[in-house]
Amino acid sequence: MRQRVPLLVAAAALALAACGSDGEPTTDDATGSGGDAGTPSVVSTTTMWADITRNVACDGLAEVTTVIPAGGDPHSFEPSLRDRETMGNAALIVANGLGLEESLEDTIDAVEADGVAVVRVGEFVDTLPAGDVDHDDETGDTANDDHDDHGSEDPHIWFDPTRVAATLPAIADGLAGAGIDRAALDACVAEYSDALTALDDEISAIVEPLPVGDRLLVTNHDSLSYFADRYGFTILGSVIPSPSSLAATSPADLEALAALITETGVPAIFAETQHSSSDTEALADRVGDVEVVTLQTDTLGEPGSDTDTYVRWLAVTARSIVDALSR
Amino acid sequence: MEFLTDPWNWWIAPFADNAFMRDALLAGLLTVVTTSIVGTWVVLRGMSFLGDALAHGVLPGIAIAFIIGIDTSIGALVAAGVMVLGITLIRRHSPLPEDTSIGVLFVGFLALAVVIMSTQQASYVGDLNRFLFGSITGVDSGDLQRQAITAVVTLVGVVVLYRAFLVMTFDASLASMLGLRPALAQAALLVLVALSIVASFQSVGNLLVFAFLVAPPAAATLVARRVPAIMVVSVLFGVVATVVGILISYHHDSATSATMALCSVVLFFVVLTVTATRRAIPGRQGAAKTVSSA
Repeated sequence: MRQRVPLLVAAAALALAACGSDGEPTTDDATGSGGDAGTPSVVSTTTMWADITRNVACDGLAEVTTVIPAGGDPHSFEPSLRDRETMGNAALIVANGLGLEESLEDTIDAVEADGVAVVRVGEFVDTLPAGDVDHDDETGDTANDDHDDHGSEDPHIWFDPTRVAATLPAIADGLAGAGIDRAALDACVAEYSDALTALDDEISAIVEPLPVGDRLLVTNHDSLSYFADRYGFTILGSVIPSPSSLAATSPADLEALAALITETGVPAIFAETQHSSSDTEALADRVGDVEVVTLQTDTLGEPGSDTDTYVRWLAVTARSIVDALSR
Repeated sequence: MEFLTDPWNWWIAPFADNAFMRDALLAGLLTVVTTSIVGTWVVLRGMSFLGDALAHGVLPGIAIAFIIGIDTSIGALVAAGVMVLGITLIRRHSPLPEDTSIGVLFVGFLALAVVIMSTQQASYVGDLNRFLFGSITGVDSGDLQRQAITAVVTLVGVVVLYRAFLVMTFDASLASMLGLRPALAQAALLVLVALSIVASFQSVGNLLVFAFLVAPPAAATLVARRVPAIMVVSVLFGVVATVVGILISYHHDSATSATMALCSVVLFFVVLTVTATRRAIPGRQGAAKTVSSA
């Protein structure tokens, strides 16, 4: 029986020894430009930024992949070793930053330390503070690179197409650094900026018929602040008063929220597809006569659905919100 | 079956081609060395429940350390110390058996950690997630250095205290008579356990480090009799579990720390099956093995 142990051990030792005595130089993947001849591979953390980056890269000048799959939750997604490999082989990583990709952060830092360029687009926009936001309070917070603050800024910047437009130059810079032709990038940035402006106008038109007094948002967690800020909505409150979906709710807060909902007579409250909405549904039950509408807040839809590009997704989401509140 | 049919690409290539895989492996191996050596004593002294309680009991210390901005390892060690003090106090002042006092503090500390986190507006919770499950993809040279230092410290500690541990495990009264200060040695052992737990956060995380504290040493006691041999075999089993776990996780995109923990437990059952089968074969000199202090 004692023969088994040495056998097991020898096998393991051989494997490791073979690794060490390997004569070939080990290929270090730190600064790989991946992909086939000349197309740099770019890794984005979320599907939103993947689509936006694809547009900046003229839809083909870069090969853009996503770490957090469609339907995944950026707040809780943890990378696998394969993800680490993909990120390590990329020419550029596009991340939201501002504490959105909570469990990805130290992996991104490690990859950056290995020499891969990282663009955290959240650094290039005016951010709103996290937590209970009074939308009249437009402090115009300058983009504070406060990674240490762990979520003191609300990361859901993609709900405002004008803020997204502000990130395009930074993304283009990153792509240029990966070797893509600058002139082509500038042209595509201009083109996509126009598309975003058109989107902004479209949403304003969708929102316009809804009276300002009816533009009240109750959400599962603090995800719609930027939408509210841009299109004149008020955030009544959130079931989970934190931009992080991992935080928990408290009964006292729920009571206060229920009272507020009854008082203002808001017809719908909003949950997210990626998180359990049991608290939100319980709240709706308790208040009575209020509909729970589920939104896709942190991810695009599957390819082929009506929310598979950023532009389509925001338009559909805005339409859902307005329809729900127009009852 | 690629691990048999294409061994190079399955076993070696991932490490040969990727620096981060080598780093992850190193982090795992350092964890194994630390936890196996200390874990041997945890298993021999029947302290598994306490080991698990410590593993999770450090969480409020980490939560508080995080919030006030000091090094989380210090917070973890303080919490471990407070927990051990609490257990000792309960035992001294009540007729309750030890596992009850451990259990009460275990759940109390865990609940305290969650309460502390829930009162925080900001989202530290992602970091808590990382503490619980590890983040082997984010290992950097600072982490490896700290792990190496901890491994050395625990090795030295176990070597220096070897005699004290040995005698107090197999003959507590003799230990006092020989002046080996069993109470102090026990405290030192708990400190070493806490250190090994804290050092493993990055690689396996807090939730599953217990698997490495207990499963490889437990398997080792089935095949080895003398304590030094148990420690060595335990490390080797841990290494196998880590290598296989990391590779499976890499090839099949599964959660790394959980896969490694699962491998160490599966390995335990494999060893158990083998040893039990051999013992069951008639005619074999298969008397139940007792661990000897010789």
